[in-house]
Amino acid sequence: MADNEQIELDILGQVCPACLLVVLRTINEHRDLLKDGAASLVVKTDHRDTTRTVPESAAKMGYQTMVRKKGSYYEIIISSG
Amino acid sequence: MKSSSAAAETGSEPTVAPSAEAGEAAGQSAEIERLRAENAQYAHYIRSKTNQLLQVMGTQPLRPEEFDDRQLLSLDPIGIIAGSFEQVLEHVNDTISQLSEARDELQAIFDATGVGISIIDNDFRVIKCNEKQRELLVDRDLAAVAGRYCYNVYCQRDGPGLDCPAMETFATGKPVMVREVQKRNKYFQVISTPFARDLQGEVTRVIEVSLDITEKKRAEQEEQRQRGFYLTEKLKFATVLESLSEGLLVVDTAQRVVSANTAAATIIGRNKEELMARELSSLFTMLSASDDGKGLAAAGEGICNFEITHARDDGSRLLAVNSVPLQDAGASSIGRVLTIRDITEEKQRRETYYRAEKLAAVGQLSAGLAHELNTPLGSILGYARLLLRQDNFTAEQRDRLALIAQQAKKSNTIIQGLLNFARVSTPAGKNESRCDPNRVIGEALQVLAAELGQRGIEVRTALAEVPRVVIDAKQLEQVVLNMLLNSLQAMKESGGDITIATTARGNRLQLSIADNGPGIPPEIQSRIFDPFFTTKEVGEGTGLGLSICSGIINEFGGAIDVDSEIGHGTTFTITLYLEQQL
Repeated sequence: MADNEQIELDILGQVCPACLLVVLRTINEHRDLLKDGAASLVVKTDHRDTTRTVPESAAKMGYQTMVRKKGSYYEIIISSG
Repeated sequence: MKSSSAAAETGSEPTVAPSAEAGEAAGQSAEIERLRAENAQYAHYIRSKTNQLLQVMGTQPLRPEEFDDRQLLSLDPIGIIAGSFEQVLEHVNDTISQLSEARDELQAIFDATGVGISIIDNDFRVIKCNEKQRELLVDRDLAAVAGRYCYNVYCQRDGPGLDCPAMETFATGKPVMVREVQKRNKYFQVISTPFARDLQGEVTRVIEVSLDITEKKRAEQEEQRQRGFYLTEKLKFATVLESLSEGLLVVDTAQRVVSANTAAATIIGRNKEELMARELSSLFTMLSASDDGKGLAAAGEGICNFEITHARDDGSRLLAVNSVPLQDAGASSIGRVLTIRDITEEKQRRETYYRAEKLAAVGQLSAGLAHELNTPLGSILGYARLLLRQDNFTAEQRDRLALIAQQAKKSNTIIQGLLNFARVSTPAGKNESRCDPNRVIGEALQVLAAELGQRGIEVRTALAEVPRVVIDAKQLEQVVLNMLLNSLQAMKESGGDITIATTARGNRLQLSIADNGPGIPPEIQSRIFDPFFTTKEVGEGTGLGLSICSGIINEFGGAIDVDSEIGHGTTFTITLYLEQQL
């Protein structure tokens, strides 16, 4: 993931299910880039449930995810599987 | 970097046109209410479907305070989730495609593998088996295996046997391996592994893998047979080697002993263990210049035979050695095999035999000559003595007659010697007489006491207490006298000492007579026992003394050996059997 584009999505302060819907909409919008591995989506969230629902849904769509704790929020990195 | 807005989008407020007339207004108002109710119904429908889809996606339903209807519609959650579902479906299709491909690959591997594979359920029915399994264990005319009992089609039984690995796997839940199973004249290694379990964790299916180890088993059996054959042959070979009376040594290319039999150890005079890894040249002690090891050194170059004299603790031995190169299967030299035979006694017997044969021939000739000469010589001597009694001869004539009588008497003495020799040389059966050798020596010394005294020869004796020996006393005395006279004559000018010793060695007596006279030259040592061989002046000796001695001693199964060194003296050693050892 070093050379590809990073698409940032800041949903700090939002909770599920709105978080999930926003993330899914963004994935849909950048579907081709993400599928090709040309970009990865970096989601910033402080809602703990999101770290479960987003990776589960993304996995069903064929993406791989990684969750990192970054101080007061989480970073969910979604990329091609 | 792109950025997406996180804020929920909101639509613009709907506007209502002012009514011109009350009736129309009332109608419009009613219509608005209906439309609102209808919108609310649609919004409710959309919200409930959205929640349903969100639940499918694994998250919680929308809360009313989170999005109002307008916000919800503008967010287009169904569109979002539909887009996501499209990707989910695409992913599922990809996965199905990959699984299908994997299944085909697995099936190809399943069929192409060199081992028989079956999937068996807990009712021992075959769910599936590959072609190899059919080939190995199923009758050719059986069309379908699936659904049949494994013990029927694979083992020709009516139920699973106690040695069935699948049964054990179902019972224990663990993999089981049976190292060797015999089916249909073939050997198999069978491994049963759990494949599927029910909710309680019980094994419901197993994979059974059958590996045909028939070739391996046959190879093992053949190897075992060959090993047995090899061990038997090795044992036979070892037994043959041990049973040989000849010594056998096997040496490597560095001339080190790698194998030796007991006979070799006995002949060399060492323990078998002492021989191992020793260099060949260090095993043999050479005694004479002709045995300087050249034979041993040359033995590596081909088949050769040679004799060596080997010094052992119990005396020197004459060994006949045969050396043969040893090669491996590739014709490379790996050492050689030496067979060793102790020919000491054989050579002595052969020499004794030749000497006895020679003596017998000469004896016969001597007896004939003596008989023919004795009568005319008796006449010459008798008539000479008669003539000497007459007075009518001159002094000169009487001297000549006396000379005739003297020479005739001397000739008679020679003839007596010949007759004695002939008697000894003629086989007359072994005399079983016994005598005390020390007493015989004493009597012989008394006979020669005056002669010894005159010549100033000192005689020392070292006589051990020994049993009687197997020989006639008179004949032994004759031998001892002959030997002593031999020494006396050898030292007639120089004087010197004579040492007589007796000692018992095993079952034999050794009687030695040693002088410190001039010694016998090496080149004639082998001839001194030959009849008529003498170093004395012509007329001084008959050359029969030592021949007669040798004949007497041989007749009683003994031997005479000579050891002489020029300037240091001569030792005669007589060996005879002791009475008690017979």
